[in-house]
Amino acid sequence: MNPIKKLDASLSNKIAAGEVVERPASVVKELVENAVDAGSTKIRIAVAEGGLQSISVLDNGAGIRLDELEAAFSRHATSKIQSDRDLFRIRTLGFRGEALPSIASVSRLTLMTSPDGAEGGKIVLHGGEIQSRTQSPPKQGTEVIVEDLFYNTPARLKYLKTIHTELGHISDSINRFAMAHPEIAFELTHDERTLLKTSGSSKLLQVLQQIYGLQAARGMRRFEAETDDFTIEGYAGSPVDARASRSYLTFVFNGRYVRSIPLAKAVQAGYDQLLPIGKYPICCVHVTLHPLLMDVNVHPSKLEIRLSKEKELQHLLEETIRGVWNKEAVIPSMQEPFSREEPTVSGDNASSSREKAPSGKSEATSFDFFYPSEETSRNGTTEAVRETIRSQPETQDIPERRAAAASPDRSSAEVQEEPAVSRVPELHVIGQFHGTYILAQNDDGFFMIDQHAAQERINFEYFLDKLSSPSREMQDLLVPITMELSGSDAAFIDENKEVLAEAGLVLEHFGGPVYRIRSCPVWFPEGMEKETAEELMMELKQHQDLRLERVREDAAAMMACKAAVKANHHLQNRDMEGLIREWSSCRQPFTCPHGRPVMIHYSVYEIEKMFKRVMN
Amino acid sequence: MKFTIQRDVFVQNIQHVSKAISSRATLPILTGIKIVAFDDGITLTGSDSDISIEAFIPAEDGDNSNVDIERPGAVVLQAKYFADIIKKLPESTVELTLNDQMVTKIRSGSSEFNLNGQDPDDFPRLPEVEEGSQFTLKTDLLKALIKQTAFAVSTAETRPILTGIHWGMESEKLMCTATDSHRLAMREAGVEESGDVEFTNVVIPGKSLTELSKILDDSEETVDVTVTDNQVLFKATNLLFLSRLLDGNYPATKNMIPSQSKTNIQVPAKQLMAAIERALLLSDGKNNVVNLKSLNENELEITSVTPEVGKVTESVSCDAFEGEELRISFNGKNIIDALRVIESQDVAIQFTGAMSPFIMRPADRDYMLHLFSPVRTY
Repeated sequence: MNPIKKLDASLSNKIAAGEVVERPASVVKELVENAVDAGSTKIRIAVAEGGLQSISVLDNGAGIRLDELEAAFSRHATSKIQSDRDLFRIRTLGFRGEALPSIASVSRLTLMTSPDGAEGGKIVLHGGEIQSRTQSPPKQGTEVIVEDLFYNTPARLKYLKTIHTELGHISDSINRFAMAHPEIAFELTHDERTLLKTSGSSKLLQVLQQIYGLQAARGMRRFEAETDDFTIEGYAGSPVDARASRSYLTFVFNGRYVRSIPLAKAVQAGYDQLLPIGKYPICCVHVTLHPLLMDVNVHPSKLEIRLSKEKELQHLLEETIRGVWNKEAVIPSMQEPFSREEPTVSGDNASSSREKAPSGKSEATSFDFFYPSEETSRNGTTEAVRETIRSQPETQDIPERRAAAASPDRSSAEVQEEPAVSRVPELHVIGQFHGTYILAQNDDGFFMIDQHAAQERINFEYFLDKLSSPSREMQDLLVPITMELSGSDAAFIDENKEVLAEAGLVLEHFGGPVYRIRSCPVWFPEGMEKETAEELMMELKQHQDLRLERVREDAAAMMACKAAVKANHHLQNRDMEGLIREWSSCRQPFTCPHGRPVMIHYSVYEIEKMFKRVMN
Repeated sequence: MKFTIQRDVFVQNIQHVSKAISSRATLPILTGIKIVAFDDGITLTGSDSDISIEAFIPAEDGDNSNVDIERPGAVVLQAKYFADIIKKLPESTVELTLNDQMVTKIRSGSSEFNLNGQDPDDFPRLPEVEEGSQFTLKTDLLKALIKQTAFAVSTAETRPILTGIHWGMESEKLMCTATDSHRLAMREAGVEESGDVEFTNVVIPGKSLTELSKILDDSEETVDVTVTDNQVLFKATNLLFLSRLLDGNYPATKNMIPSQSKTNIQVPAKQLMAAIERALLLSDGKNNVVNLKSLNENELEITSVTPEVGKVTESVSCDAFEGEELRISFNGKNIIDALRVIESQDVAIQFTGAMSPFIMRPADRDYMLHLFSPVRTY
């Protein structure tokens, strides 16, 4: 047995690197965090070969004092927090003092910095060992170049994925930074190719357009709301642009991108039935809160946080987003299937969606990094940059498809004040297609309506009203319905018997795992008593309180589907007009209860374009 | 196989047998009708997983000649084509000829069809009904039993056992019970020729009995019933009707029926039914909750409220009233269903308070009983 001894610095740095530096993207993330914390207004990231060959991060921030250069590479050395107290009031992205030494220990690292633009220092480390310390050109800010990452940890190198994957991660990371800090101009290049370039104009929508493309940005709606503890603002993407992955949700807490499943669920809940199953909206939410309310020190990667008052925030977010979409017309337009690309946050695709933006724009947003002397701080944006921003076409000026739709800039509060007019345009029935779709027209173009979905929506709202009318009646069952419950469920039921009885569901223990439903509310759909009862219990279990509306919603959706006209059912013109009239007056007419669209729109322009009557 | 048959007789029997044929059969051959020609007549067979029906068309029926059989044989023909063809043929007789390739030539007057058939040996044999409990019922009684109970079965497949009608026989009395757990219908019948048969927990699918009741010929005097562990066979002169029984234990219904009552009333069935029907007009086919209140010794008030529509108030005079004052709510549609099958002029209703099930039966008979669970406010 070897004797116990303290590990030397280089070994412990390598061990720490195992946590912090997982892949090239983590290096990029740590370095960019430093750049952001240094108060930069421009950050340029250049990577070669997915970051394996080299990563360079250049900023115009505060720089490192030359006499502290060596200290920056010792472990747990940081300028970001000073005392215990600070650990619970973290306002910077970094605080652990681990990133630089960890990265240095697994790569060849060069750092050039100038804290005042008058004097510059350069330090070179290989595998964590200082190789040289020289002068560098006095350029405000810091540049870190990381080369040959993992050259001395072959095991880690072996497990890296393809260049493409690594680049995807880097690109994703920078995209999140750009969304978190629209006030900072980011530029990401890979092997000389520009993948992302933001203007640093503080306009979040512009950043979102750069990342997700014009089409998605056009459909986005701004929201903001406030409670005593939280301020939230951001943009919610149109349900039409929903994606199949949660990764299109970005949550930014005090400038830090974090992942949060509870909040993702809140966003989804806010969209109600506008989203089909398994689809997630594109959404960027900025949360401002007192640093005391969140604990970042959960994991070295700092992607997860613990949040006090999470429920409150969830509720706020859900209601705010619901407010956005409750008054909106959400009609998929036929243009999309043709031009729709799936911009993802990963590298190559992000660039392709960016190219969809008007070409003049990326030029307009370009800026030059190599005249840093004019720049002093984050707040002092140069006149030149301001000029170019002003001359850009404002994303908000994109012509709206529907006059009725609120402009993206409008706050949710304003939207809610709008009078409740029908959001469905007036339609004239042309006929029926395959006994399944109603064809209709108006001045705006051509519409197809899924008759089953429309009927389902009508039924759904009808049943929902029916079910939510406060009839407090319950039906005793001559033959009780038996259900078997697991031990934990049974304990839960025993505990909550009164709550359930309060809702009209009377359960009794029948021995062993078996419980019997003695009475159930009259609104329980016939033949679905057991399912609805189970749903009720699930609801109570999940949310700790019984929000019957939700249970009723599910029950109503089941009933609505059963009662609706099926596809392949031929209708008279009069019936179709009646159906459309009734459907137009629904509260949320654009999707069926399962989130599928009810109506599709071809504008006159799109049709003329297809017939080549217009050529652009 | 070759025979000539009277078309009307053929059509009627095909229709009977078709009741057992499902277009969604799991076994493709079960979408067909099996036709077998014997020297003395023809049998038609249809079967699905629940019921099997075999109809026999005798060559000679009294003075009438139904079928003229030249050559016996057998074939299975697709029911959906065959039934429609026979129905639409021009003449009053049809000639069927089967060739070696299982192609059946159907000829009537100027019309000729050649229908591809399937091998009759592939058609599953009807389950043998071994010795079971056997008894005989009068046809009209059987039909009444079915009519007076089948309406109360559950339509929800979630508890399959409740989609059936429970038959139990004890000391020469057949007791039929059906419930969907909101209401229960019971009908008792004396069976003279029961031959000491006793059984319990025989649950026949409600749908099977409804079909049986449709095809039973009123001219038939009696039907022989054989009950086995998993099948029930109804046998009339020229008809075999076989149904699967439902698996599982039927709930014990006897102890559901309250033995005492607090309020007894007697009302004319027609007036009660009309009043409830009107009260339901506002409920829009949903909920169907009707409230009943005793005003005085000879008057009841029936009300129904649908908040978004309005309110209705009805008053019904009762022939007899004894016991406590009453205020109760129930599903009006269930009461109407029961009133429809009660043939008597007056009905007697026994309540045991607003929280307990109540009983309704014909005032002049005690072989029938309907039980209803009230609706309560929580």
